[in-house]
Amino acid sequence: MPTRTQIARGLLAVLIFGGSLELYARLDDYISYGAPMWGVYNAETLYVRDAIGKRGIPHARFRKWGLNALGYRGPDLIDGRPTVVCFGASETFGQQEREGSEYPRQLEQELNARAGAQAYQVLNAAYAGQTVRTATLRVPEIAAMARPVTALIYGVPASYIEPPPLDAPPVPPGRIEQPRFELRIVDRVRTLLKGMIPGSVQTWLRSREINADRGAATAVARLPEANIQRYRDDLSKLVAALRQEGITPVLVTHVDAFGETLSDSDRALLTSWRKFYPTLQEEGFLDMERRANDAVRSLGAETGVPVIDLEKAMPTAPANFTDFAHFSDAGAAIVAKTLADGLLPILNRD
Amino acid sequence: MSQVSLLYAAAVLVVWMTARVSSSRPFRLWIYLAASWLFYFSLDARFLPLLVLSSVFNYYYGRLIRRQPRVGLLWAGALVNVALLGVFKYLPALRPLLSQSPFWQHVAELALPLGVSFWTFQALSYLFDQYRGDDTRPSMGEFCLYMGFAPTVMSGPICRVGDLVPQFRAPFAGSWASVREGAQGVWVGVGMITLARMLAAGHGGFGVADAFALRGTLGTADAWVMLLGYGFQIYFDFAGYSRLVIGVARMLGFQLPENFDRPYLSTSVTSFWQRWHMSLSFWIRDYVFLPLAMSRREVWWRHVSLVISMAVFGLWHSASWLFLLWGVYQGLMLVGHRLWQQLRRGAAPIGPRWLRSGASWLLTFLVIILSWTLFRAEGASHAAGILKAALIPTAGLQLPGGFVLLVLGLVAGYFASQLAVSRVPQRAPGLLSWLPMPARFACYAAIFYLAVFRAAEAQGFIYAQF
Repeated sequence: MPTRTQIARGLLAVLIFGGSLELYARLDDYISYGAPMWGVYNAETLYVRDAIGKRGIPHARFRKWGLNALGYRGPDLIDGRPTVVCFGASETFGQQEREGSEYPRQLEQELNARAGAQAYQVLNAAYAGQTVRTATLRVPEIAAMARPVTALIYGVPASYIEPPPLDAPPVPPGRIEQPRFELRIVDRVRTLLKGMIPGSVQTWLRSREINADRGAATAVARLPEANIQRYRDDLSKLVAALRQEGITPVLVTHVDAFGETLSDSDRALLTSWRKFYPTLQEEGFLDMERRANDAVRSLGAETGVPVIDLEKAMPTAPANFTDFAHFSDAGAAIVAKTLADGLLPILNRD
Repeated sequence: MSQVSLLYAAAVLVVWMTARVSSSRPFRLWIYLAASWLFYFSLDARFLPLLVLSSVFNYYYGRLIRRQPRVGLLWAGALVNVALLGVFKYLPALRPLLSQSPFWQHVAELALPLGVSFWTFQALSYLFDQYRGDDTRPSMGEFCLYMGFAPTVMSGPICRVGDLVPQFRAPFAGSWASVREGAQGVWVGVGMITLARMLAAGHGGFGVADAFALRGTLGTADAWVMLLGYGFQIYFDFAGYSRLVIGVARMLGFQLPENFDRPYLSTSVTSFWQRWHMSLSFWIRDYVFLPLAMSRREVWWRHVSLVISMAVFGLWHSASWLFLLWGVYQGLMLVGHRLWQQLRRGAAPIGPRWLRSGASWLLTFLVIILSWTLFRAEGASHAAGILKAALIPTAGLQLPGGFVLLVLGLVAGYFASQLAVSRVPQRAPGLLSWLPMPARFACYAAIFYLAVFRAAEAQGFIYAQF
């Protein structure tokens, strides 16, 4: 039987070990990213909330993500240089790519390489979770600050699975609410454990979580047509808002990591996607993507807005994605090339 | 399954628990063997049959040699093992000389079985020892375990039958004390491997490999920083790996031979080779140098034997002119040291002792660091370029400041830690055991953090390629 002293020493050892890990995590953040040693440090520290929703804090930085003077990801804009603005959500913001490899940055390099000079700049006006509706509300502000000539719209149909966010009660402007204290080591350990758990176990755990999150709500196999229509209507409003500001809109179809036939790993990936939207069954996601992209194409044809069909151009090879829809560095390069192919004739024409 | 993974740690724990509760020695042996083969299978399933085949062949061949100790029989057995090594290790290097026929091209493209150099040398030492009348008579299971023992199968230390087999026969020795002692070794090993990976990953995405890729633009300071970086990367990597596997074996109750003993503190090349990759160094001494040197009585022949032995040492790594040159260089340095010792015998010492020791250490250190050029360069012209940059003074520093600071910081930190350790009385075995408990656990946490969260991912061990 261990004595009280032994138990106390053991507890002290665990405490020192854990406390040291937390200290090293903070030191690591400080050395690597210039993060504050104390206080909270997470992606939400990049943003404040205004009347429209989330907006970036000028020159804020979290790990590899740095915002410019306008509060958008990337370098500061140069006066007088034609600007292309990219609207979208996390795929456009660049969640997984290395710094400078997100597709708006690669698009800028691609456009300038083809122009043979620093002729264009790209403003990445996206953040994780941004909807087409909030993007529309930001158009006058972006038009005034950046005076873009063209806007790429990479809408995310999945954000139309749940009820419209504006139906929720408005959140007062100000800082985004943060916990008073957080253990930075916890996130690292969680990621580590996630990498260690076999894929099948992770899928099982996710399924349990989905069922718990869904609660009493019924999961539908097919997204109702009204939701697709809402997506189309919001895109239509964004197009109109852009045109009103004299900006040429360009629609882009949404692409995901799934091919024609689904493998077991694809099914596991669908479950991980569904974790964010528990009310739509796995099989409903691919149907939703197809119908939403059809809506984008028909909207383009109807309103005369050019459509870059990324869905058709992008190979669904696993190397191009880091999960169900976010791009790897290589994937973002393909997106940038495809967009540059479609965009250059429009930029030259304008 | 990497040896620096939580899965490996879990597997070690399961094996330890199973062995601990088992009172049957044969059962424990089979558990160890099954776990070892499973581990090897998990590394590369294709080569397990080769390891098993080599084990079975050498087991029966060793028995034959013991019954009929004839030199012809011994050399035939040795030839079979060297041929096995040659097919996988040396044929690819001879590719340009081989016929262009599809068969030879296919042979030249064979993948190198993991650890083949290590376990083949274990098989060879077994055959030699049987010929010399070694009394250890392993059973088939014991011999297979000796050949494929999980901690050592990938990159050594190269063991001898006489050291390992008696431990397989002994009662289970994985006590709590040995677990604690082994765990300390594992921690230190993981820490050293992490330092190696930090040097590989470098600073700001610029690591040791990137420095070697800067051909033709190196100044003298660049060349020395780069060679220092590589010298310490390979030391931390292989010595850390060795410490880890010795620690794992210790946890299971086995005592493996040490492979490194602070070699960069050596004050002569002879001393360095008694402290660097000791299991191979002693293997070469016992089975190449001594038989060769004793075949003639002349002093010059002893020197030639030394150079030949070190050339074999170099070629053990790979069939390349650079490794051969590296071995010959080491051999010549060893001969040079012997001649210097003979020259100075009886002469009055020059200067104070600390100055003599300091100068000896510095000279040895520089000679060894310079030799890594031949070990790491990607061709003769690359090596020549680095040597030229290192030996002909050129101004300027091309390497990024962050990388230079990282290398110099780690080197200075290493020597400072050695100095600190040497001044603290050792109360218990293990590098960190002299620290008070809170500091020790803070160090463990630092090692854990660096190894798990900061070390470059998915990077193999340098010596796994040999």
